[in-house]
Amino acid sequence: MTTASTLTGKSTEDAPVVRTDRSKLIGGIAQAVIGLYGLWAFGLGSRTSHNAHTLFNLKLDPASSGPSPISAPAEPVAIALASIAIVCGLVRAFAPISAKVQRWLAVGYFASFVLAFLVWAAAGSGIGLNVPSIIQQTSIAAVPLILGSLSALLCERSGVVNIAVEGQFLFGAFAAVITASMTHSVWAGLVAGCLGGALMCALLAVFANRYLIEQVVLGVVLNLLASGVTGFLYDRLMSTDGATYNSPPSFNSIAIPGLSKIPVIGEALFNQNILFYAAYLLVPLVWFLLFRTRWGLRTRAVGEHPTAADTVGIKVVGLRYRNVITAGLLSGLGGVWLTLGLASQFGKDMSDGKGYIAIAALIVGRWSPIGSLGAAVLFGFATELNLALSSLGTPIPTAFLSMAPYLVTIFVVAALGGLARPPAASGKPYLKG
Amino acid sequence: MRKPLALVAVAAAVALTATACGSKPVATSGSGSSSSAATGSSSAASGTAYKACMVTDTGGLDDHSFNAESWAGMQAAAKADPNISVQNATSATENDYASNIAGFVSASCKMIVTVGFAMNDATVASAKKNTTQDYAIVDNTSTGSQIKGLEFNTAQGAFLGGYFAAAMTKTGKVATFGGANYPTVTVYMDGFWEGVQYYNQKHGTKVQVLGWDETKPKSGTFDPTQSFTDQAGGKQIAATFQAQGADIIFPVAGGTGIGALAQAKASGGKLNAIWVDDDGALSNASYASVIMTSVTKGIASAVTAAVTDAAKGNFSSTPYIGTLANDGTGLAPYHDFQSKVPATLTSELATVKQDIVSGTIKITSKNQPTAG
Repeated sequence: MTTASTLTGKSTEDAPVVRTDRSKLIGGIAQAVIGLYGLWAFGLGSRTSHNAHTLFNLKLDPASSGPSPISAPAEPVAIALASIAIVCGLVRAFAPISAKVQRWLAVGYFASFVLAFLVWAAAGSGIGLNVPSIIQQTSIAAVPLILGSLSALLCERSGVVNIAVEGQFLFGAFAAVITASMTHSVWAGLVAGCLGGALMCALLAVFANRYLIEQVVLGVVLNLLASGVTGFLYDRLMSTDGATYNSPPSFNSIAIPGLSKIPVIGEALFNQNILFYAAYLLVPLVWFLLFRTRWGLRTRAVGEHPTAADTVGIKVVGLRYRNVITAGLLSGLGGVWLTLGLASQFGKDMSDGKGYIAIAALIVGRWSPIGSLGAAVLFGFATELNLALSSLGTPIPTAFLSMAPYLVTIFVVAALGGLARPPAASGKPYLKG
Repeated sequence: MRKPLALVAVAAAVALTATACGSKPVATSGSGSSSSAATGSSSAASGTAYKACMVTDTGGLDDHSFNAESWAGMQAAAKADPNISVQNATSATENDYASNIAGFVSASCKMIVTVGFAMNDATVASAKKNTTQDYAIVDNTSTGSQIKGLEFNTAQGAFLGGYFAAAMTKTGKVATFGGANYPTVTVYMDGFWEGVQYYNQKHGTKVQVLGWDETKPKSGTFDPTQSFTDQAGGKQIAATFQAQGADIIFPVAGGTGIGALAQAKASGGKLNAIWVDDDGALSNASYASVIMTSVTKGIASAVTAAVTDAAKGNFSSTPYIGTLANDGTGLAPYHDFQSKVPATLTSELATVKQDIVSGTIKITSKNQPTAG
């Protein structure tokens, strides 16, 4: 452990971002200008005028008893929030502050700008925004993205590119449903789903390490393979005899005593099934394993500089095999979540691009577990916002709202201004000598 | 490097075979028609063997939706007329449309049925090359003198669905969403919305529709990834609507809609659904307890009629439009909800249906199919 702790340092975990004053200045001014636009569009526009109010519901079930909705006067609140955003931008541009403060400032900027947007978008609607529901659905939508990005993270940190997360989701989902349906046990389905994901990852590991195939191409082929195989088996088994092969039991919600009684967030976050909790607990676990243990140090060494790792006696290829197959358990769990945890049925191509978004979350999160979690939640939030606003009669076209998650990606990468640097040896097969 | 390449090829080949397995044209004998043709008796001279062939879209034959319905219609045609034999080919991707159609032209199919408006271009291209070939296309209008369009004015059926939902809601809010913003999807949503407005007008109520407003066709709720397979997305949409106070949901989104059914089942009675295209209580039997009724689309009977007419030599390129009048669309039985639907509502719905058929109620949806 001594070598581990001395070498753990900050160097690979989070390379210190060297910012020039120029990028700070330009970034800050750009933020202030966008904030100014927000002030004009959200605060001073016609939608928030005429004493319009924005309704925030605080109960998940609107019919149940509990705190009554908050009705905020739209115009002053939107103006205040947009002003905060402008101030954040100006402070970033002109005040002498450290990188850490800058990061918090960016969070503050983003939060106030989005809130100003929400107040504007929902102004005058009798339905309003259901805050617990938005929190709940955001956290649910983030789960597959978290599991997928953790899986891709483990692979990339060990030097193997895994863009086959989509295929692992599908295969895991299929294996989980067919096993759970036939055994009537969610636990058997859970095990089978994880193993299904691991099997797909084992294919990735063999082709990438043993046969040195270009890993991005390989990932695409594996995704097609998973879609084809599960689609074919779906037609032959589930579609013809759904009662036997596609009627699995599903995981029940477990309300956590105490926590689930917290107003607003309690029922939204602490009355979920065990897979939900597992996904969120895996984030700190993976972080700890990766940055505080001997295994984690070796993994990162293999992903950054495999020759050096080999020189000190680490079995590079062996470790890559182990890590990639372990990562398959995580993406397989993502497939289990999509079926036994959520929709309780398998359908053709049901992962529907979530595997790719998970990889985007990994990149936006700069190859760190915590960052990936943040990105996954952000994507989930953008998706949910699109849905929650689409029924309120906002003047924004639906097609534009659907773009939101991807706009947010660009926005965040720009605002947090990180150096997106993948592990150095990622995607490069290791050859001795 | 030779070995790895070979392995990629193997992997790719496995992937391709897996996807292609379902796509080989499967000849299905239609009630012994081929044997009657083979005997070549003189009596068969008037009705020689008539081969009708169907090309599915990418959903495949077992999609529990319009491909399956179309194929059921083909089989019914074969059963109804012993001279008709039927075949099908599955399209694994959109690139297979043209080749599947061409395959059937060279296999001397008398009529080729293509399923889905996405196949229109391929059908028109084939018709231009083969000027004596007859075609029928599901969910599209006639696009040439050899192509019979089979369309469905599902706005009429959905109008009844909307009226039904407005009458049954307890919270005063009902919801609908689509898989993607296509005319064949939004025509349902239009009808549903109009049905609710009509109920409000008749009964002086203020039932709200979440997710769609016919007068604002640019906004509205659709699957976040514009997909018809996204169960997770469907569940999320339904949960969001439920939190906004809706208690009845009308998903027009195929497999994505199954996610909405899952949410309804998980809600413990707080949310129920109206299914779309076919009778949901039968096609999604595990969710029958939350399906109040379904807005149906009579694809099977339309395909059967088109094929049997053509086999009799009565092919015409006049489009068929399924309406309430010809049972091309309508409301399915209530099944599990039979006891919960008041008899007065059932009789009101019968009146509304008559008024739509007679033209007393005018449906204004711009997405309705028009003859010609």
